[in-house]
Amino acid sequence: MFGHASRNASTSSIKQIVSSSSRHYSSPPHFYSNKQLELLASKRANRLSLRQLVFFGRSMTEERLIKSANYVRTELPVRIAHRIRDMQSLPFSVVTEENVAKIYALYWDAFEKLRNYPQVVTRQDNDKFCKFLRTILGEHAAAIPILSLGLSIASPHLSSEELDSFMRRMLVSRISRRVLAEHHLALSQSLLEQERSPDGGGHVGIIFTGLSVKRSIDKFINLLLNSDSMPERLRQALPLGAFKLPEIQVDGQVDASFSYIREHLEYIILELFLNAIRATATQMHSNPETVPGVIRATISSDEDDVYVRISDQGGGLMLQESQTPSDLFSFSHHRNNTRLNDDRLGALQHFSRRKGGLRGTVDETIANPGLTSQRLDSAEVISEIVAPRQMGIGLPLSNIYATYFGGTLELMSMDGWGTDVYLKLPRLGTNLEGIEV
Amino acid sequence: MLRCKKPLIYSQRRFLQTRTPPPNSPELVHLLGAFKSLAPRPTPLSTLLSFGAPLTPSSIVLSASYVLEELPRRLVQRVRSMEALPFIVGMNPFISRALNSYRQTFQDLATAPPVVDMNSNIEFTKRLEALVRSHSNDIPVLARGFQECSKYMKPGAMTSFLDGAIRSRIAIRFIAEQHIALTRALKLALDRDSKMDQFLGVVDSECSPAEMVKLCTNFVHELCVGTFGTAPEIVLDGMTDVTFTYVPVHIEYVLTEILKNAFRATVEAHHKRHGSHTTMPLAPVQITISHATLPPTPSDIISNSRIRTPPSYVSIRVRDQGGGVHPKDLPRIFSYAFTTARTAEGEDDGGGGGPYSAQAVGGMAAIADDGDSDGGNLFGEIVGKNLQTGLGTIAGLGYGLPMARLYTGYFGGSLELMSMHGHGTDVFIKFRCLDENTSIEV
Repeated sequence: MFGHASRNASTSSIKQIVSSSSRHYSSPPHFYSNKQLELLASKRANRLSLRQLVFFGRSMTEERLIKSANYVRTELPVRIAHRIRDMQSLPFSVVTEENVAKIYALYWDAFEKLRNYPQVVTRQDNDKFCKFLRTILGEHAAAIPILSLGLSIASPHLSSEELDSFMRRMLVSRISRRVLAEHHLALSQSLLEQERSPDGGGHVGIIFTGLSVKRSIDKFINLLLNSDSMPERLRQALPLGAFKLPEIQVDGQVDASFSYIREHLEYIILELFLNAIRATATQMHSNPETVPGVIRATISSDEDDVYVRISDQGGGLMLQESQTPSDLFSFSHHRNNTRLNDDRLGALQHFSRRKGGLRGTVDETIANPGLTSQRLDSAEVISEIVAPRQMGIGLPLSNIYATYFGGTLELMSMDGWGTDVYLKLPRLGTNLEGIEV
Repeated sequence: MLRCKKPLIYSQRRFLQTRTPPPNSPELVHLLGAFKSLAPRPTPLSTLLSFGAPLTPSSIVLSASYVLEELPRRLVQRVRSMEALPFIVGMNPFISRALNSYRQTFQDLATAPPVVDMNSNIEFTKRLEALVRSHSNDIPVLARGFQECSKYMKPGAMTSFLDGAIRSRIAIRFIAEQHIALTRALKLALDRDSKMDQFLGVVDSECSPAEMVKLCTNFVHELCVGTFGTAPEIVLDGMTDVTFTYVPVHIEYVLTEILKNAFRATVEAHHKRHGSHTTMPLAPVQITISHATLPPTPSDIISNSRIRTPPSYVSIRVRDQGGGVHPKDLPRIFSYAFTTARTAEGEDDGGGGGPYSAQAVGGMAAIADDGDSDGGNLFGEIVGKNLQTGLGTIAGLGYGLPMARLYTGYFGGSLELMSMHGHGTDVFIKFRCLDENTSIEV
């Protein structure tokens, strides 16, 4: 649903875009043609809250859908313009780095296309617009690894704070554009389905109104337990070949539910569980006689928030004296010197060249109970979760997802014993998107 | 008929103490001046421990001399910082009581005769013990004073004063108690005619966190049952066999405070959910122990190939199901005199009503002037007084968490609190191991 076909076109289209414009950007006119960009960049991004997204998406009609399309059509270029201006402020030596330059070209291309897209008036216009959106989403699928790689290579020219905050702004904005685009695509789809068979769906666009944390965890556990269907990539993400899965227990307010973007929640949960499993499995490997520790998830909620705590017995974070757990959320190698590990850089290069690129999301197909029959899809999908981990940006991405609507993610370590991760997500849906205006 | 009020003649206004208190005596001024010029210097733990390795009549004299040099320097800082408080705060009877007490102690020690042999040491140590006892109520007294002065001080100023005061107090007591312990041990050794090659005093090289947990749990359990009629069990897991080098009384204080919070929260949440007459079992408090040495950093390997050992820590996690801390309270949880315990009416009733009138902050019985602390429990004033003052004081003065954090941080550890509102609270206590290789200062 979200651009399967165009994913493969991503890398090749980037090449096309870059090659057609590489002369364009180095020539003097590019400087003077910045005017259009500045015009849009001077506008404020219109930050939305979950509640607004839900409210608007309820009782969809064709008229509202058209409205939504035009909203997305005009809002996206503003947000992209902010990103481009941000990139233009980076040191010259950084943006001329081969990979960063690719992303610069990519963003500029998207900006031009969106800026010039005609107004959506009819249903057919919207269909075309949706197709267009999917194409753009697909083209940008490879952006994360390419940018990560580029910044890693260019890191001597940037302080760790600059790199960190730049990367963070890029990723937050990227999530925000995807939220807008995918929400609209989902609303378009919903209207179609509603017209075919009008009954509820428990979701408004990409927001699920009865999202249960326990159900997401159970889904993940089932995936792990059915080792036949466990995709090879997931097995690779979990270390050391054949190993006993630690027991996963869920307690607390297990029936807590709230309205949230399911993809966001599931990305974070899976990421955190993979970390816990990996740590526990590593401990078990060094102490084969010991019974595998238990991973315990506790859920609770109050009127404002939903809390999830994941406790493992994986030995703890074992950070150096000068480090703090929040350093693990940083993209900079100064604060986390494992970023420049060969295997991480290698993974970055691998994904930057791969056809499908990387979306860093959890596809909707994983949600289907009839998952085991769709092995190929789930392999692709799981790889989207796994790949950021291999590149070492799994935790920073989780942190961005968690904080996007005003939540928090914190790590506490019992060095020598295990780690506790605390996730807090707001349930009122009144917080605005955490993007820069 | 109008009554003409006779104007009060000046002598009848005696009860209005508008006069300022007398200034320091010339002798005191001189002494304060003399010591003020000596900047406080850090005391390496190794120096203090050296007086006990070995512990001999001559080393005890060195220890006494060191105490006589160090304590006045630190006490003068205390006096100065209290004299720097706003005038109206210094006029508060509780604050001025504390200030006079410090001035007196400073003068005593600054003018004490030098210690030259075992006999003079015994005299000196007796005086030192009396001085320590006289200060055992400092924190409750200051707490009461600041509560009354809260409108005269900015919260930041009060926090930084109290942080400094408590840290300084930890140091002063450490130095004093160490010498007292050495003196006692030497006497015992001489009586038995045995040698002491290494006596660590208040430091224990084989502190068992598991044992300390059990000790503190027993105490808090009693207190809780006495207050609420019931108390939760604990589940102890992790590296329960671990031992390390630390100061047991510090651990005892911290654990007791944290366990008090955990037990109280558990019982209150339980009653809230199931009613006060329920027979349902209480959720246990889970305590986990771990120990680890941090991985070295690249710069740990110095050019002359001597490797600096990275620090080791013992971590204790106390996990309860007491409902957690409300998000709006979280920012204030480490502030002084912030407590979620319910306060009774009439807490300022001047002492009537016996011990049961004492509740939370400012209860009169909490600062009753008998100052007789149990010899073995050096910080009994908070802990012991709470037991004496009965109902409600399990919640303490609202100083428990910030003080516990100061104690853990004192040698480089930490204390952090994570709350899952609607479920419970996790408190992470980290003590830094006082191993030989590390350069710890008191």
